[in-house]
Amino acid sequence: MKTLWLLIPLYLVPLVVKSDMILTVLIFTFLLSMLAVGFNIVFGGAGQLTMFHAAAFGIGSYVTFLSMQHLGISFWLGYLVAVVIIVLVSIVIGWICFKFRLKEFYFAVVTMAFAELCRLVALNWTSVTNGTLGMLVLDKPTLWLPGSGIVKIEQTLPWYFLTLVSLTGVVIFSALLMRSWIGRNFSAIRLNEDLAQTLGIDTFRYKLLAFTISNVIASFAGALYGFYTGYIEPSYLSVTQSLDAIAMVLLGGVSTILGPVVGALVLTSLPHMIELPAELRVGVYGMILILVILVMPLGIVGLVAGFFKRRTHAS
Amino acid sequence: MLLKVENLTKRFGGLVAVSDISFGIEKGQIIGIFGPNGSGKTTLLSLLAGLLPPTAGRVLWKGQDIAGAKPNVIASLGVIKTFQNPQLFSELSVFEHVMIASFLAFTRIKDHSRLSSFLAPGKGEAVLRARAEKALTLCRLQGASDKSAAELSYGEEKMLGVAMAMMCEPELLLLDEPASGLGNDEIHNLENVLRDLRAHGTTLCIIDHKVAFLAKFADHAIALQQGCKIAEGRPHDVLADPGVVTAYLGRSHHA
Repeated sequence: MKTLWLLIPLYLVPLVVKSDMILTVLIFTFLLSMLAVGFNIVFGGAGQLTMFHAAAFGIGSYVTFLSMQHLGISFWLGYLVAVVIIVLVSIVIGWICFKFRLKEFYFAVVTMAFAELCRLVALNWTSVTNGTLGMLVLDKPTLWLPGSGIVKIEQTLPWYFLTLVSLTGVVIFSALLMRSWIGRNFSAIRLNEDLAQTLGIDTFRYKLLAFTISNVIASFAGALYGFYTGYIEPSYLSVTQSLDAIAMVLLGGVSTILGPVVGALVLTSLPHMIELPAELRVGVYGMILILVILVMPLGIVGLVAGFFKRRTHAS
Repeated sequence: MLLKVENLTKRFGGLVAVSDISFGIEKGQIIGIFGPNGSGKTTLLSLLAGLLPPTAGRVLWKGQDIAGAKPNVIASLGVIKTFQNPQLFSELSVFEHVMIASFLAFTRIKDHSRLSSFLAPGKGEAVLRARAEKALTLCRLQGASDKSAAELSYGEEKMLGVAMAMMCEPELLLLDEPASGLGNDEIHNLENVLRDLRAHGTTLCIIDHKVAFLAKFADHAIALQQGCKIAEGRPHDVLADPGVVTAYLGRSHHA
């Protein structure tokens, strides 16, 4: 929990940095961080390699927007509809996967197939989703703020704080979750599922819980993402999107609280800092990822934590 | 009767691993089940713990049929099984191992809502920590508390398995070959631990092929051969049973 103070400087960044471009990169970082934090709960926590988080991300943005349009409700109520749908979808998919005891690679493949299924629906249900062309989102989320009443979140700065506060909330929730009995049961399942079960842990139920929580967080990131960019398209649900989040978690540090945030920061800002042709950029990105995984399997946060641990042991 | 096994049978294809076995376990008793390798001991224990579904028969726990129930359900009712080859949560410390096994104990802490422990785990955590210390002391692992489980000797790993099981506060503890692979000192240590468990009031069901080891502890012994119960009674009587002698030593060659 102590490491959460490291998020505080992010609140002070806008005081110093006035560049819209940097703040925009940070907003994208916060949004993708949430996706990565969600993935880290099910993978770093309960050890289940899901490939469904991008689909949940996409469903979050589609359902929120569509229910706003068709039901005439606000962003937050629209997102509530998305939560209900994501929870139902997670329970159905999780139930199928965990009842059949799919693990590791098999779980990844089956969840990926379900994710592709969702992407194809978004792609081909043209009358509702507008297919490949995607949908323009002209609406913005509104917030009630003391003093100024209901405001639309439009400018960069309000978006910066909205996404940062959301990320903080998600990170605190994940930290509380991981240190609670739920997080302990997740770890037991990750480290030795058979043993966990003989110690009285309902592994089916807790895996389902981890999967559902992770998808709900991913859908929240997705809903904000669609409204921030003002554009929703089927590629939000793509495998590439899932892999990006996985890369962030691996780079930052699996099973650490802030790892996903650090990973997202590096992988989102890096491509903007390196001035390279697009094709080369992807190559460099891949090389960095491979190197990092080979050299520091515990990720950046794991490496730093290990360093501090040794220091305290030595002194 | 704490546990009653009725006509329990387990077939793997054509192989009958456990064949029509019946017996009972009274509260506070120590039951020893022995037999040569491949006689169905481990299968029998796995059936009791829910790790395998039986082909036929009933397992009555305090009168309730638990045959075929999931392992976590059986564990939550108070039947905990240890593994012959120690199963661990590799990367954790010894103390963390026992804490991670604290879920059942956690669910039984009274005046303690789960929501409040989500936001402020302190109070329940203190209760569990104290209990973990106790389980480690019981298993003679108090000195190894901060060690990584990867540094433990084989014997210590097995004791850690027992400590995790004890953390679940079992009413019936099923021990799968606790003495196998242990050195003399470790066996001596194990014997002390088992004596403490008995004093603690835990009902034990121990399977082993070391007959002498079992005979020292068991109040009641059951001998298995090829999945069938061939003798049952006081340990020394069972050991003297001609069928058991034949099973262990082969047929005698009297002229």
